[in-house]
Amino acid sequence: MTRQFITLDQVSKSYTRGGEKLQVLDQLDLTIPEGDFVALMGPSGSGKTTILNLVGGLDSCDSGTVSVAGAEVSAMSRRELPAWRSRHVGFVFQSYNLLPVLTAHENVMLPLQLTPLSAAERRKQADFALSVVDLSDRASHRPSQLSGGQEQRVAIARAIASDPDVIIADEPTGDLDRQSADDVLEILSRLNAELGKTILMVTHDLIAAKKARRILELDKGLLVEDPQQEA
Amino acid sequence: MHFPLRLALRHLMARKTRNGLTIVAISIAAFLLCFLIAIVQGLEASVQSASTTRLVTQSAVSLFVDLPTSYQHKIDAVEGVHLTTKFRWFGAYYQARKNFFAQFAVDQDRFLDMYTSDIEIVEGPGGVTGPEARIAVQKAFESDRRAAIIGTGLRDNERFGFQIGDQVPLIPMIYPRTDGSAWEFVIVGCYRPLKARIPDTTMYFRADYLNEAIVSGEAFGDHGAGVYYVNTEEGVPVEQIAEEIDELFVNGPQRTQTITEAAFASFFVSAIGNLPLFLGTIGGAVLFSIFFSVVNTMMITGRQRLQEAGILQALGFRPLVSTNLLVFEGLVISLIGGGGGILIAYLSEGVLAQLLGQSIQNYQITPDLVLMAIGTSSVLGIVAGLAAGLPFLRSNPTEALRSSG
Ligand SMILES: Nc1ncnc2c1ncn2[C@@H]1O[C@H](COP(=O)(O)OP(=O)(O)OP(=O)(O)O)[C@@H](O)[C@H]1O
Ligand SMILES: [Mg+2]
Repeated sequence: MTRQFITLDQVSKSYTRGGEKLQVLDQLDLTIPEGDFVALMGPSGSGKTTILNLVGGLDSCDSGTVSVAGAEVSAMSRRELPAWRSRHVGFVFQSYNLLPVLTAHENVMLPLQLTPLSAAERRKQADFALSVVDLSDRASHRPSQLSGGQEQRVAIARAIASDPDVIIADEPTGDLDRQSADDVLEILSRLNAELGKTILMVTHDLIAAKKARRILELDKGLLVEDPQQEA
Repeated sequence: MHFPLRLALRHLMARKTRNGLTIVAISIAAFLLCFLIAIVQGLEASVQSASTTRLVTQSAVSLFVDLPTSYQHKIDAVEGVHLTTKFRWFGAYYQARKNFFAQFAVDQDRFLDMYTSDIEIVEGPGGVTGPEARIAVQKAFESDRRAAIIGTGLRDNERFGFQIGDQVPLIPMIYPRTDGSAWEFVIVGCYRPLKARIPDTTMYFRADYLNEAIVSGEAFGDHGAGVYYVNTEEGVPVEQIAEEIDELFVNGPQRTQTITEAAFASFFVSAIGNLPLFLGTIGGAVLFSIFFSVVNTMMITGRQRLQEAGILQALGFRPLVSTNLLVFEGLVISLIGGGGGILIAYLSEGVLAQLLGQSIQNYQITPDLVLMAIGTSSVLGIVAGLAAGLPFLRSNPTEALRSSG
């Protein structure tokens, strides 16, 4: 039996806006085994990004526990979280979120600055990450000199540079054309299949979702396994 | 290069226009700060170097009313008075009005003895220097009616370049000669100021030269002494001497007002005292607005950096990294700006010192001023960086990232 790698246990999360309480997640349970590739779907505002933020330790829940790779994320302090994030989680966002003043290579180097690696090792690892997304020849380009698809691939290289266990991707193909989206999904599949990364990906695109091993549907605070995938 | 440093430099280079303008603004502020404080310091130095044991007896009516020469022997006789000299503003220029400098008519037999601690004679007739120079100059001063002693500034500045032995014609503005000619003076000595109050561009000449020319009809004007400078003896309270002098003349023909030279100097400073206040107010307002515009500009930069702060946090950096980046950038900008301002202050020091020379001696950009300008710039940079960067510490990375979507 595979180890449960990501676990959300009775997690509740609400936001208060304008004095009104909005319950986004209500005692939600979720388990993802190690090495899984999960596509999370659901209507806008259903709380998908909220789940990713909780798993990635960017946000804290009101109650319940979130554990990732054997660590209880929901119990960590705000001071502990950044260091934990840098070692265990890689983020990929819909809008790429590269730093425009840095080159592709420097963007990929960013998370490596937090590792104890030597400068030479960092450079080597960044080179490797860029080769994984097939952008070695664009290393010295700035984001503004890259296409959207290339930018997103650089972002993926950045997410895997420090070799995290989990990749969290929030609509990574949302801004891309079909071809670029397929390239990105292809890379994510390979990361999952060849490097064994556990991937949690939010998407609105059913074609994208089908590249995952599993599709989960979030609706009105409830998670349902998508039956289509079983077939 | 260390990563945060590189990122900071990239940001600095990425906003060339904005940062360039900010740097210019800070340069102006730093220069203005140096300039204004140097003026105030110059004024203070002249007041502070003024003697408290020397008195100035002036007309009680106005500084511009001359006292009669007949007063001198009466003042001489007051107990505690050591030496007196007439001291009369002449107001002439050399060749052109822009070559104006101060000239005073004094008593040739007393002036140097009274001014031993104020000026040092550095050159006399025949190029004599050292201790003999003073004796030689005293002799020459007494033997030629047209004799004059000048400051080193008038000798060394190429605009004048007066040398010992030169005959110097000065064109009068107050005491015109009846034949319309210039006044002729013969340079017999050169002094170096020992006190901040005394410019090196003053000329002292003989009061009897002026008065005799007026009496004989060679020149227009009134016979007179100007004011009297009174050196007092130690041990006698100056206030008491001043009071006694003024009592001598309560019944006229001219009432007098005797004050210490220090008070006299500060009177002059307060006469132009509104100028520094005026400059200070305007300068302060300008500094204040530059300060806030720099902080504001930095805060705009900070708001545009919110997304980056969110990204960096998602990657595992502490929010403090983003704050530090902005503080560092603020420091770099303000130090370049401050350095620029100091450079301007240094480069313009000579010109400004000359322009201000008549009213403010000792306009000087001192190392203290430079340090202060650097310190102020640093504080500005840090404050601006903190104002822009502190919000990151409280910001939620998820909101920062959401704002980008
Ligand atoms: N910081 C916040 N303050 C207040 N409300 C919030 C905040 N973050 C999210 N919400 C609300 O919580 C709900 C869930 O948001 P979330 O971003 O998780 O939805 P989502 O499923 O990712 O939607 P989308 O598909 O549009 O990205 C939404 O109604 C949103 O408005
Ligand atoms: Mg979302």
